[in-house]
Amino acid sequence: MANKKKRPPSGGQRQPNTTAQQQTVPIEAEEALVNATPGGVNNADSGADEVEVTVPAWRHALIAIEPEQPDERELKDLIKAWRRGRATKRIGQMLQDGYVTVFAVLMIVAILGNSVYRAQGAAAGCDSTTCTVGRTLLPWVAIGASFCLTLLASRIFGPVVASAAEGFWLMDAPIRRGRFLWSRLIGALAAVGFGMALVGALLAALTGYPWIQILEWAAAMGLGTAGLTAIAAAEQTYGRTWIMKTLQWIFGVVAFLALFTITGVAAGWFDLEGVSGTSPRIVLTVAAAGVIVLVVFTTVALRRLGYIHRARLVAGGNLVTGMQGAAFAMDIGLMRDILVERDMLTLGHVKPTYGRGSGPKALTWREVQRLIRFPKRALIVVVSIVVPYAVMALGLAAFAPLISALVLLVGFVPMLGTLRVATRTRGLARMFPFSNPQIRWALTTVPAIFAVIWALATLPAFAGLGTTEGFGSVPISRALAIAGVTAAGGLLAGIRWVTAKSADYSSPMLQTGFGAMPPSLLFNLFRGFDIAFLVTGPLLIGLSPTFSVIIAIICAFALSGRFGKDEMERAQAEAQKERDRMKSSGGSASPFSAAYSAGKKSTEKKVVTPPKRR
Amino acid sequence: MAKSRTPVLKVSHLKKAYGPHVIVDDFSLEVWAGEAIALTGRNGAGKSTLLRCLIGAEMPDDGEIEVSGMPLRESDPQIRQAVATVIDDLDFFPDLSVVEHLDLLARAHGLPDPDEVVDAILGEVSLVPQSGQLPGTLSSGQRRRLALATAFVRPRQLLILDEPEQRLDVDGVAWLASRLASERDEGLAIVMASHEPSLVKAVATRTIRVGGE
Repeated sequence: MANKKKRPPSGGQRQPNTTAQQQTVPIEAEEALVNATPGGVNNADSGADEVEVTVPAWRHALIAIEPEQPDERELKDLIKAWRRGRATKRIGQMLQDGYVTVFAVLMIVAILGNSVYRAQGAAAGCDSTTCTVGRTLLPWVAIGASFCLTLLASRIFGPVVASAAEGFWLMDAPIRRGRFLWSRLIGALAAVGFGMALVGALLAALTGYPWIQILEWAAAMGLGTAGLTAIAAAEQTYGRTWIMKTLQWIFGVVAFLALFTITGVAAGWFDLEGVSGTSPRIVLTVAAAGVIVLVVFTTVALRRLGYIHRARLVAGGNLVTGMQGAAFAMDIGLMRDILVERDMLTLGHVKPTYGRGSGPKALTWREVQRLIRFPKRALIVVVSIVVPYAVMALGLAAFAPLISALVLLVGFVPMLGTLRVATRTRGLARMFPFSNPQIRWALTTVPAIFAVIWALATLPAFAGLGTTEGFGSVPISRALAIAGVTAAGGLLAGIRWVTAKSADYSSPMLQTGFGAMPPSLLFNLFRGFDIAFLVTGPLLIGLSPTFSVIIAIICAFALSGRFGKDEMERAQAEAQKERDRMKSSGGSASPFSAAYSAGKKSTEKKVVTPPKRR
Repeated sequence: MAKSRTPVLKVSHLKKAYGPHVIVDDFSLEVWAGEAIALTGRNGAGKSTLLRCLIGAEMPDDGEIEVSGMPLRESDPQIRQAVATVIDDLDFFPDLSVVEHLDLLARAHGLPDPDEVVDAILGEVSLVPQSGQLPGTLSSGQRRRLALATAFVRPRQLLILDEPEQRLDVDGVAWLASRLASERDEGLAIVMASHEPSLVKAVATRTIRVGGE
């Protein structure tokens, strides 16, 4: 690189003391400066005669030189070297320091692996028609859903991205973008392919397939998603999205139809006699198609990488940067906020509608209107009605409430978007003449109605429909309680998720191997999931639904907004102030309280100065 | 305008500190209906912190704040009904259009004829062409106008504004000055922090310099 920095001093001679001369140029001479030609000679003939203007030689050099083609690889190496130079730790060192966390993660993975192994045994042992159909179609549900999600993510992010800094500094330069970006594309394809292959293997294992078929499903999932990412990259070079949107809908419908078929067979709506699992040939065909698509579209994308519009690259990069920031704070809520903002920015404009009602009802009616405007937000909740049927059909009755509640958690989050906005900053809530519980109640009414409908619609599944024991094997009252608790668990988990506050860095820190961390940073990841586990946990271990009902009521009370952290802190501060006032008005306090106060004051005054930075 | 017996805002011996740095110390103030108080002072003098304390967004370390005789509690519906604010922590619903924000607020506050009020305010803040736009697509000046509109579209006894002139164009500042002056004359109590001399001159009945010289 160094040898290429030497540029020919084309144009004129390098002038001495150019900086000093530059500073002496008055404003009136600016026009003359503009008209100056390379060589340091001022050809302007009017107005500038009195002023001697010398144009710095480097300006001529920049204007007149024939730029050399930069070496993209060297540029990338240079950036990499700078980044490495600023890093204070290597990944290996971080993992070494945080060995307790790494060990804990490995333990959790081992426990999950064991659960998968046991679930696989249970699923493989079930040979009823519903089990076979479930085992046959569930991987197709997973394939359809993962293909759909891959296309969605590729469309939102890029899949080829560049950071804002790269967009500003590098994309303006005469670099060959294709050479600069090809490794990004290959990296994205590899990450998607390997990641989704792992998911495919896990799901195939859960449905009771033997190891060879698990590998086949993994290959189909990995190669298929990588192929679709390649299509997305090729389309990105053309600046089109409609093909991806169409494919996304097709795969979404495939996933839904597969799930619906499982449910239908489980519920006895129709029969699929003679189904004996998916032929390995079909799975391998998907994998082979994935390979062909991957090769063809990667070739197209690589050839056309240089045509990707800078704005498109940087927009994805900005989104990734925002998401990375949120991910470092383990704030999944913020990640979703960024995506929603982006989505709305793309939409830009809506046809306004008149509101209805007044008082808190106005909020509730607006939620109804929102849902009519964006019906997709209720899609997951509606589709999730088939989840308990499918899970029961697989013979995993004990897991049905927990799995359904987790799916409902994901489903209710889009429906609770308004609650999310109203609770993330206090400014919006302050505008409404209601208490926080009133706002929460008004904004959760519509999702709560959906939860009730969901519970009624899944009642037959929890009553045993589709299982080997048949409908009625579980008493209706118990089934109703389980369905209600599951729906409530999902809704409460969703409320907990959307009302989560970001990590509070002003709170006392926890000392961890990775350094000091606020406790909320660690707990943020589990928000929502904790409620789903708490409410459906008793059912998982075979306890009466009454326990779950009691837990759900307690959770609902806790999430009602009466016990906000801020409110409690304020109440505590108020009480403290009151105590201080009483102390000061009551004259001299007891020797103990005086000593306590003195000690407290001395603690308060103690200021720990941070070590000086080197 | 006849004075009522209780001030709209009463602040007694307010103190706020961040660690060893005392931002506001022993600050007392009474604001009556029809009065407009302008807080001025250099950047970092504590104007915004003071305003945040006055609306309950910050908890003061000492002192009392009352709004129409009621102790200030930010989550109290009566306080929320009485106090309209435009400070920097205002957020918008990303999926509601400009006019829908105003409509929702007007209805939530129980206005008998919300459509008429919303249309009038929308015209006043010159956001009629943007009425169907989502907030994310608005320019910073338009967002400011929308924020101001949210304060004017609802009933209020006390209006608290933090540098309301920010990002407004010259016409916008002139409109704001006349609007606030007319609100003050109709009996609204106003507390605002501002760096805009023309706005302070047109609106304020009293000026308080925060943070000394």
